Order: sequence, then structure tokens, then C-alpha cells
Amino acid sequence: MAKIIKASTGLTGLAVSTNPHHTLSALYGKILRAVSKMPQDASYRKYTEQLVKQRADSVAQHKDITALEKAVGCGQVEELIVQAENELILARKMLGWKPWEKLVQAAPAKQWDWPPAQIMEPKV
Amino acid sequence: MAALIRNLGARAAVAALSAKHVVPAAGSTALRMASTTPVEPKKADKPTVRQPDAVARSHLSDFGRYVAECLPKYVQKVQLTAGDELEVLIAPEGVVPVLQFLKDHHQAQFTNLVDIAGVDVPCRKNRFEVVYNLLSLRYNSRIRVKTYTDELTPLDSACEVHKAANWYEREIWDMYGVFFANHPDLRRILTDYGFEGHPQRRDFPLSGYVELRYDDEKKRVVCEPLELAQEFRKFDLSAPWEQFPNFRNANPPAEVVPPQAPAKK
Repeated sequence: MAKIIKASTGLTGLAVSTNPHHTLSALYGKILRAVSKMPQDASYRKYTEQLVKQRADSVAQHKDITALEKAVGCGQVEELIVQAENELILARKMLGWKPWEKLVQAAPAKQWDWPPAQIMEPKV
Repeated sequence: MAALIRNLGARAAVAALSAKHVVPAAGSTALRMASTTPVEPKKADKPTVRQPDAVARSHLSDFGRYVAECLPKYVQKVQLTAGDELEVLIAPEGVVPVLQFLKDHHQAQFTNLVDIAGVDVPCRKNRFEVVYNLLSLRYNSRIRVKTYTDELTPLDSACEVHKAANWYEREIWDMYGVFFANHPDLRRILTDYGFEGHPQRRDFPLSGYVELRYDDEKKRVVCEPLELAQEFRKFDLSAPWEQFPNFRNANPPAEVVPPQAPAKK
């Protein structure tokens, strides 16, 4: 078991993780597995894989928790775990939504024109 | 004795005068030194008009492009308004996916829903706009998500993504009559019990349809259809002169972020 380096995260409702390396690598593995079911050219898959692999590498490299937090630079390990959990939920939902498909509905003409006083309707 | 006091007073006045003279003397030397150094013409700047930061703007348009690339199914347009406010304009089907992506993705983390607002533009086919303002504490940035609907088409509720959306959507429902599907508790929230109509719609009269008054005979408050005290008058409020000439060349209201980044030399 990794040595617990602090008494508290200082964030309400966020407990200190006892074995962050194990949790993080498991979560990153799950994210990569979920993302690998998407088509190869989906941008979401590309970017997420890139970022998660980067983070998984730093988890594998840095055994020290402080060094890991510094290398990732996105908060404490407990926050990293929360972020990874969120990404995992998102990746699984994305499989159902398929957001890499083409635009579902083009905007109606003049929908996004602003200010609306300049929208001229032909007088009948 | 009086002479002595007057003398003292005069001396004090002289001292005060000399003390006063010291300051302009130092100032004049500084002026003389300054006159020998080349003076650059000072640019006329308006401190009341905030200039957007170019770096922040490029970051925002990069992020907008990133969102549009990740969710091509839903994002119709990305734009920067007021110089440095990022707006993502989406199709109404994509409310939940886009908000979930912005909340849970590593690079976004817009976990706070600041507000949901409504806009009514009766001359459009889809007359209502619904605007979601989001805040990312992690990256210290804000984003605005806009979508549209009409009187009958329901919009997906954002409650399953953000708990805070519950009351905001009830406000929109109350004020504009936009129906939110899958909302756990869609009731009026701002208007009174038994109120009819949606007061923020452009076609809702300023005076409302009914009025309440205390009836002395019935000894209770009665609700009656409104009677206007005077005939309907139409006011022409447009002025023949230009009202804000200083803002003629202000930032354009919205700049579209193109899907591809401009090529760097």
C-alpha cells in the first residue's frame, strides 16, 4: 500500500485515496477500452486516447504521489480520480450518442442572426 | 506684543511660501529633463472600453474549434461575442450530449452551470433561444451554449447533467413557455398561483390580462379582466440622429470561429 502523504485533501467531500496509482491505472484502462469501440477517425476518440495515454504514462513513471501530481499538473490525485471517473461515464455515454456523425440538423436560415432588428422579412 | 505676533505670522507665511516654491522648482527640472528626451506621441486610449486579450481570444477560439471537432453532430456554429466570450450554437437535439461533454471531458470541466436564460425573437421560425452559461473552475474560463426551439417542440432537460438546471428550467418554462422533456418537476416558479400565460413573451402585454383589487362588498380580493383607462396609442420611439456614434466602430457583435485554424506563417 502506498504511503498516505496527507491527512486531508482540503476539499469538502473528497476523501484521501489510499491507493491512487491502482485506481487511476484501472480507470484509465477502462476509458481506453470504452474509447476503442469508437470509429478510428472520431476526433473525440483521438484526443481522449492521446490525453489518457499521457496520464497513464505519468502514473506508471512516477511512483511518488507528489511527483505524479506535479507531472500531470491538474490538481491532486483525488481530483485526477474524479476527472477519470467523469471521463469514463462520458465515454460510455458517447458510444450511445455517436457525436462523430455528421450534423443532425442544419440551423434554419437567419436563426443565429443578431441583432434581430436587422432581420428583414419580405412584406406581403 | 501684537506686532510680535504679526511678525511671527508673517514669518510663518514666508516659510509656507518657500515650501510651496520648492515643489514647482523640482517639477520644472523634471520638465526640463523630459523635454530633452524624445517624447513619443501618446496614443489616444479609451479606458472605458475594455480591450479583449489577444492570447485569451486565441485560446478561446482554439477551444471552440476543439468542441466543434469533437461533436460535429450537434455543433452548428462557434463564435466569439463581445471580443472574448465563446459561444457554441448547437442543434436542439444536442443539449444533453454537449453539456455532458463540457462537464465531464478532461479538457473542458465546465462543472458549474451559472445560469440558463431565454430569448424570444418572434420574427424567427424557432422563436425561442435557450442560453446555458457554464463556468470551469479548473481552467478559469466560461462558455455559453445556445440552442433554439419553438412553442411546441420540447427541449431535453439538462437536469440529468446539472442539478442546478432544475429551477432555471422552471423559470424558462414560466417566463417563456418552453417545454422541457424529462424534467422532474416542471411547474411555474416565479409567477403567482393561478397565473395564466408566459410574461416574458414579446406578445404578452405589459399590463397583463387580469387585475386584482379588493372588493368592499364581497370583502375579498377579486380578479377581473383588465380595463385600460385610455385608448391604445402607438409611440414611434426611433430617433432621427445616431445615438451612440462612439460605438459605430465597436467590436462586431459576433465573430465566427472558422472550423480550421488559420494557417501560421
